[in-house]
Amino acid sequence: MKRLLLGTTAISVLALSPIANANTTIELQRFFGACDAEYGSSIDVSAAVGECGIITTLVNKFEADNPGIDVKVTTVEWPGYDQLNAQLASRSAPDVVSMHYSAMSDYQSRGLLVPLDSLLKEQGIQATDFTDAAISSVTKEDKIYALPFDNWTMLFHVNTNLMKQAGLIDKNDNPVLPTNRDELFAQGQQFKNATQQPYLIQISANETAAYARIFYTLMMQQDSKFFADPSRIDLSGEDAKAALTLMKEIVNKGLSSQNLDYPAAVSAFANGNGGIAVNGTWLIGSYDAQSKEANNALSDGYRVFPVPQFFSQKDATYADGHGWVVPRGDRSDEKMAAIGKLFKFLYDNDYEWARTGHLPTVKKVITSNEFTSLPHRSDIAKITKTGQALPAEVLRQFAIQDILGEELGSAVNGNKSIDDALKTAQYRINDLLENI
Amino acid sequence: MKTLRYSPEHLTSNRRLFWIAAALGIIMMAPVAWIIGLSFKDNAELLRGTEAVFSLPYTLVNYTNILKSSSVFGWFMNSMIVAVGQTFGVLLLSSLAGYAFARLEFPFRKTLFIIVLFGLAVPEQAVIIARHQMFNWFDLHNTHIGLILPNLSSAFGVFLMTQFFRAIPKEIDEAAMLDNASTFRIFWKVLLPLTLPAQATLGIFTFLQAWNDYWWPLISATKADMYTLTIGIASSQTNFAQSEGLGFLGAQAVFASLPVVIVYIFFQRHIVTAVSGGAVK
Repeated sequence: MKRLLLGTTAISVLALSPIANANTTIELQRFFGACDAEYGSSIDVSAAVGECGIITTLVNKFEADNPGIDVKVTTVEWPGYDQLNAQLASRSAPDVVSMHYSAMSDYQSRGLLVPLDSLLKEQGIQATDFTDAAISSVTKEDKIYALPFDNWTMLFHVNTNLMKQAGLIDKNDNPVLPTNRDELFAQGQQFKNATQQPYLIQISANETAAYARIFYTLMMQQDSKFFADPSRIDLSGEDAKAALTLMKEIVNKGLSSQNLDYPAAVSAFANGNGGIAVNGTWLIGSYDAQSKEANNALSDGYRVFPVPQFFSQKDATYADGHGWVVPRGDRSDEKMAAIGKLFKFLYDNDYEWARTGHLPTVKKVITSNEFTSLPHRSDIAKITKTGQALPAEVLRQFAIQDILGEELGSAVNGNKSIDDALKTAQYRINDLLENI
Repeated sequence: MKTLRYSPEHLTSNRRLFWIAAALGIIMMAPVAWIIGLSFKDNAELLRGTEAVFSLPYTLVNYTNILKSSSVFGWFMNSMIVAVGQTFGVLLLSSLAGYAFARLEFPFRKTLFIIVLFGLAVPEQAVIIARHQMFNWFDLHNTHIGLILPNLSSAFGVFLMTQFFRAIPKEIDEAAMLDNASTFRIFWKVLLPLTLPAQATLGIFTFLQAWNDYWWPLISATKADMYTLTIGIASSQTNFAQSEGLGFLGAQAVFASLPVVIVYIFFQRHIVTAVSGGAVK
């Protein structure tokens, strides 16, 4: 009986041990939503659409290709940093986390992120493989702290049906866009007179990010060094005044929609209530799909371009992006190797992610046929060169964006003078940075 | 059978009141109807304009997408465990404390009661970091206990129950004492049943607060299988759900509010009493 028991126990242990030791588990935490109902078991990446669909399918495919590795996904409400902060405080941070480039400095500066240089090198990934816009955003103190996954920015989404009505289409059927501020006002007025619609559809209510992003772009186009010292913002120069004056004049001349929040601005453009929507890369897919359907405001009439260069000094656009970081923590070599494999897989599938509308970070993807043959991508590909982030050392970029957006909004909507708004924004931002 | 008679003036007055109440009711229900309408519409259609709510076709796809998610029932159960656990815990502790403050004599009773009342003035934000660290020391994050414990010490609950016990005539205690009942027996068998209206009020408020709680579960339940429904459905929203997933957002809101609506339907009388301040007399 004793032998029988021992034998049974031994067989059970042997049988169970491979199950217990087989897989390395990577805990991956991300935003982008959950879509298990549609993509929970799909591994056909090329058939997936949208941020959620593509990232869910990519992870499923990685697991299918790597039977020894499990990826346990936790989705968080965008942007998820409160949750991450709590996890870091309780030393229970996940292994891989999605993070905006603009948020990385806050974590890297406190030593909360693991440098990834050697991990990427082991997978044969070089810093030179990535676009300048991407790699410069994830490099801090000469070390790489994230796998850059995409770049996103504000764009000019153009309703070419209305532009045609306004006579703003050239002989090659391309929309005529302004190349300086005078052309902006002239074309805007021409559009308004012909269509009785605002030339630009801008997000102006319950919004701070859009104001700040456009302001950054206009500052960068003047080659402004408003963060020459990363611990202080300088908005006292003529460059800041010129940028904000342009934003205000667009509204004062009635060339922009007013009092639209984000959803209202998105649907206003979809319904043909304006010529050009100033909004992000992420809307390309939705508007393009709409343009392929009949009998709507965008039917056969949608194009998209980078924000034009309004100042002569530099062709630049403010760009942010999403990356994958590894928070500080104790991890075995096996787990780090598994993370390396996951990163290599995501790097290899940068094209698939670029189908979301975001711009790829891997140089060879940008020049690939499959990417350039995607709708509209060749029109915006130059952003991978002109895209520019705030200096990597600038902390609290999310909070700065909110403060700046509030003050710029006050000036644009007439509640504050331009000088007052810039002065207050500078004071509030520097106060924030001084008290970190 | 007694026939009710109303004067023409009385009827006119009541009709006016009825129509005013009906108009106010419609105004208050409009956002709810709007959300329900959105929940039955296709997301792509709503992206182009929410006026699509008023026209066919309608779809159940947003609800089926919620129900197909393997996690949603786990989140629902977590919310239920936390809300029910917290409700029973608060009722038990608040009743015991309320009885003690109202009926028992012990050193520093008044001082302790004032200290408890100070709890009403301390916002959760002021203690959240210390609380998070303490729960970390005891390894209580990502557990049901970790979600239930922080709100068991309800200053409002203790205050409410103390006031209610004080309102019960002491002669009832004395009559029970004459029958040789112990202090606990007086509390349990005699006085506690008399506090049922207050218990119902406190229970309903506690359940609703626990069900809707967002902040503490957000930073304590960081593993997906420990999410409560509020955190779970927020995490499943896409980045631009307010424009690209409006129908799904509506369906989530309806789904998450169903238990609260059910609680309201069953305990409507007590809630109205509680809100109108009738519980404490």
